[in-house]
Amino acid sequence: MKFNCLLAIIALLSANSTLAHHSFSAEFDIDKPVSLSGKVTRMQWSNPHGWVYIDVENDDGSVTNWALETSAANNLIRRGWKRDHLVAGTVIQVQGFQARNGSSTANIRGIVLEDGTRLFSGNADELTK
Amino acid sequence: MASVLNITSVVKRTLLLNLILVVFPLAGFAQDIPRTADGTPFLQGIWQAQTRAAYNLEDHVARQDMQAGLSVVAGGTIPYQPHALAQRENNFANRAELDPLNKCYLPGVPRIMAMPWPFQIFQTEEHVAIAFEWTQVFRLIYTAGQEHLYPGFEFWMGDSRARWEGDTLVVTVSDLNDRTWLDAAGNFHSAAATITERYTLIDENTIQYQATIEDPEVYTEPWTIAFPLVRQTEMKRLLEYQCQAEVEEANGDFERVDNLWHPAPIPQDNIPFDADAGAELPLPAVISAIERHADGTPDISGYYMADAGGANYGLEVRENLAMFPPARGVVVDPADGVLPYQDWAREEQLERREAWRGYDDPTAHCFVAGIPRSHYVPSPFYILQPPGYVVIFHERMSYRVIPLDGRDHLPDSVRLWMGDAVGHWQDDTLVVESSNYNGKAWLNELGDVISHAQTVVETYTPVSDSQIIYRATVSDPIPYMRPWTIEMPFNQQQEELLEVACLEDNNDLGHLKDVRDEHRAQMQQEN
Repeated sequence: MKFNCLLAIIALLSANSTLAHHSFSAEFDIDKPVSLSGKVTRMQWSNPHGWVYIDVENDDGSVTNWALETSAANNLIRRGWKRDHLVAGTVIQVQGFQARNGSSTANIRGIVLEDGTRLFSGNADELTK
Repeated sequence: MASVLNITSVVKRTLLLNLILVVFPLAGFAQDIPRTADGTPFLQGIWQAQTRAAYNLEDHVARQDMQAGLSVVAGGTIPYQPHALAQRENNFANRAELDPLNKCYLPGVPRIMAMPWPFQIFQTEEHVAIAFEWTQVFRLIYTAGQEHLYPGFEFWMGDSRARWEGDTLVVTVSDLNDRTWLDAAGNFHSAAATITERYTLIDENTIQYQATIEDPEVYTEPWTIAFPLVRQTEMKRLLEYQCQAEVEEANGDFERVDNLWHPAPIPQDNIPFDADAGAELPLPAVISAIERHADGTPDISGYYMADAGGANYGLEVRENLAMFPPARGVVVDPADGVLPYQDWAREEQLERREAWRGYDDPTAHCFVAGIPRSHYVPSPFYILQPPGYVVIFHERMSYRVIPLDGRDHLPDSVRLWMGDAVGHWQDDTLVVESSNYNGKAWLNELGDVISHAQTVVETYTPVSDSQIIYRATVSDPIPYMRPWTIEMPFNQQQEELLEVACLEDNNDLGHLKDVRDEHRAQMQQEN
């Protein structure tokens, strides 16, 4: 319950946060919120957005690899993220918004690790203040 | 008798040559090279490699779109390990598909130094910066022992730290990724590579360039390339070649906007532009003492972030709008904070908020942001003040060269994404006047409109040792009825500029295109 509350707060806080390179609302659908839990398969330290890939087990037992868009890798680096964060196998929970084209892609603003550690991906707008 | 004299003369000359080489082993004949006041060689200027190494570092015969050339590798060939040689051969055979440069990706070092495009070197006491005409790539090289704040992360262009060894600038490039090639022939390195470059001015117009590549995962031993960089004495400024933008304009992925791009005329139905309607704003008040250079001009160099209040999501004040965040509003003239749009341009701005228009924002394609948007995209930027210039390096991989010599603007027919800027100091304010825009940029993600007809007067006023108040007055008689001005602070921080490689991992554009295409298909069906 606590965990879910935390995720909800992150989602609320981040709903106004922004991306630096393309229109959020053009790509992602605020009417398609997603809540996902899974194992990291890959972390891509890229700009203008980083990408976390996780395997999510579906209700029927099949597994879908989701692509989760974060803030720019440079923002993550400046916020203290390290290369050994989110190595393959790390279990994480996220909330975000799915891509309008229906693919297994979502924009996320924060990550909660199993031990409750919160990794905020940050947002570009915040950096401009 | 004559022949004896000649022999004596040759011996004398040889002795003299040896003496010079002993006394000046690094400088060679570099007696008449440009130097700074403290005697450091002054590399500043516009240069271009004189070599065919961009095609292939080794000996090579001519092929389609590839000139023949001789090896620039000391010893002739690259000492590959056997497995790596096999990969090089595969790279070569499939180079049309595999060469990262064919996708307009950042070329890496040392490849970018050999490419047949000019670049401009700027030099201060703490930096040597290289601005490349090719796609506005730049290298900010730290020369004063500055600490590397974020080691261990990989970059396409690597991290460059340098020191002067005698008259040679020695640059160590580390933290490279393994996705760049060394030439168009498939020569490559791994992420374990370290490049040591040596820049030596051997006369006023020639830099001898040398690079030693060490990579124990790919080669059996370190190896070295060398070629001259030649001063482009006829060039007064760099122009632009935006690789991916040119590709997408040619293949139709980035569509022409006839009523905004050069040379769109002013619409006949426009309300006439009132060029004199702009307010005279008093200069911002100085808060505390500003830093100055020895000659008294303000020292505004350093790393900055704009306090832009969400300007990248709208210049006018705006409440939260779906997933667009609220905007503080940065328009200070007109006083009501509303942009003085022509009606048709306001309609265009409103339509750009629709999801299906997101694809049309040039920054979604990773193209440069133009002016004034580059300041508030938002990404940090670094201001340098080399002799005769102010240069702004935007982390989003673009730059702006502002000469202070009062030169004329480019001919009207030459149009650029970042415009043509000329600056001067007016008391303690840097005033930059720019024109020659191509009209392809958007002012933000919300879609505020700008055209090729924009001229911009910007003022950078330092109000303390860590803050600049920035203003931009934009006059654009195509979408607007009168000039307007935005204002925001730039805050200096002790930070390091990183690299934003954008299109190299741009997973978003395909999604945006899906949304656009779906909308168009729907429209077609309805019609």
